[in-house]
Amino acid sequence: MQARHGQSSYRDRSDEFFGIVKSRRRSIAPAAENNVPYGGGGGRREDPRSAAANQSEFSKRASLIGLAIHQTSQKLSKLAQLAKRSSVFDDPTREIQELTVVIKQEISGLNGALLDLQAVRNSHNDESSISRDTTTHSATVVDDLKNRLMDTTKEFKDVLTLRTENMKIQEDRMKKFSKISSKESANPFVRQRPLASKPSPSQPAPLPWANGSSSSSSQIVPSRQGEAESSPLLQQSQQQQQHMVPLQDTYMQSRAEALHNVESTIHELGNIFTQLATMVSQQGEIAIRIDQNMEDTLANVEGAQSQLARYLNSISSNRWLMIKIFFVLIAFLMVFLFFVA
Amino acid sequence: MKITALLVLKAAPETSDPVILANASDVSHFGYFQRSSVKEFVVFVGRTVASRTPPSQRQSVQHEEYKVHAYNRNGLCAVGFMDDHYPVRSAFSLLNQVIDEYQKSFGEAWRSAKEDSAQPWPYLAEALTKFQDPAEADKLLKIQRELDETKIILHKTIDSVLARGEKLDSLVEKSSDLSMASQMFYKQAKKTNSCCTIL
Repeated sequence: MQARHGQSSYRDRSDEFFGIVKSRRRSIAPAAENNVPYGGGGGRREDPRSAAANQSEFSKRASLIGLAIHQTSQKLSKLAQLAKRSSVFDDPTREIQELTVVIKQEISGLNGALLDLQAVRNSHNDESSISRDTTTHSATVVDDLKNRLMDTTKEFKDVLTLRTENMKIQEDRMKKFSKISSKESANPFVRQRPLASKPSPSQPAPLPWANGSSSSSSQIVPSRQGEAESSPLLQQSQQQQQHMVPLQDTYMQSRAEALHNVESTIHELGNIFTQLATMVSQQGEIAIRIDQNMEDTLANVEGAQSQLARYLNSISSNRWLMIKIFFVLIAFLMVFLFFVA
Repeated sequence: MKITALLVLKAAPETSDPVILANASDVSHFGYFQRSSVKEFVVFVGRTVASRTPPSQRQSVQHEEYKVHAYNRNGLCAVGFMDDHYPVRSAFSLLNQVIDEYQKSFGEAWRSAKEDSAQPWPYLAEALTKFQDPAEADKLLKIQRELDETKIILHKTIDSVLARGEKLDSLVEKSSDLSMASQMFYKQAKKTNSCCTIL
């Protein structure tokens, strides 16, 4: 079969190829007719040829799929190289994305083709009469192709993860670069101070000009919402006494911490209130149920009371009837007694 | 949690010692004979610390059993003598307030002061007494404290609501039992009412 090793055949099978092409050409006309009566018993005499045609069609498809998988894996290796290479340069991003899209499409197409192949194989495995070897062979081919496709997909996933990691590393580096550039922009603002204060480190304010600049930037500092403004302070006091730096830092940090605590406390309080509201609403429901129960009880008791009242009435009225009946009974007894005695 | 003294000084740029602009000390817990020496000590240490505090910086120095906090803003320096328990943050917010108040009430007049001013500044004295409790000075502390109290109260509330829930559950049970019983009662009454023809 020419199908199996489409990409790794070193033997010259061109004669076989030509022969099969000829038979294919011969069978391509009846194969077109035989596409319809797959399910029924069409022409029995065309069965062997249709079987061969089906088989070679199957193998042709399998070979196409194998070739496509190979191409996809090649593109994937190129993509992996590109992804590994992109360290600081952002140029291959677009190519990488294009390649990614193309590879994804190819993989999904291959998936579909494989499914088709399997369906075709199943269909003409059931209908036409072919040997068991051919069935096992076709099954093996399909499995092999599936495995290859799975490996390719896995590699694709690995390459994508590698790419995302690289992008993250790139982002960190860019952040670092941008931070350093912003710090450098703040530095020349205060840079005059070390030049002036180097000769006399104990003097607090060497230049009124520098004092003015530092004071204007320090006006921001004593604000009550001092949170993360330790960096300008650090710049200023770096050339001054060193022990001040941790103090400023701790002051600001403690303020920030206190604010965070307050915020989280308020948040917790909000939670507690919500829980409280939920509980109270649930209990409200329970209270409504209790109320209904009590109303039912009231209705029942009232009904029972009316029944008993009626009963009482009937009993008291019945006595009158009872007396009458009694009299009648006594009358009968008298008559009876008279008869006997 | 005690403030022993509060000072406002003018931090001179060079050489000369800072000039005291306002001074308030609470030396009541020292013996009578020690009071003046304590005051001197306060003045001296305050001057030293203020002279060593560069402008727009905060500083805390440990001196014997006092923590001296200093805050220098534009040459106007506020120094506070607190004990170790006083939280640092509220100390600095207190100094902030003092400086703001001083600037509001005296404007820029202090810049020309050349010698220690002897007039007492009443605000400082009452600040000293008011802010013995750090929560007063530091709004954050006050808020945090109130929030904690509120949280405790809410916890208690939730507990009582849970108890209420339990009671309500038992009430529901009892009321449903009652309703059942009354229903049986009604049925019985109806039954005895229906078959009364015997008697």
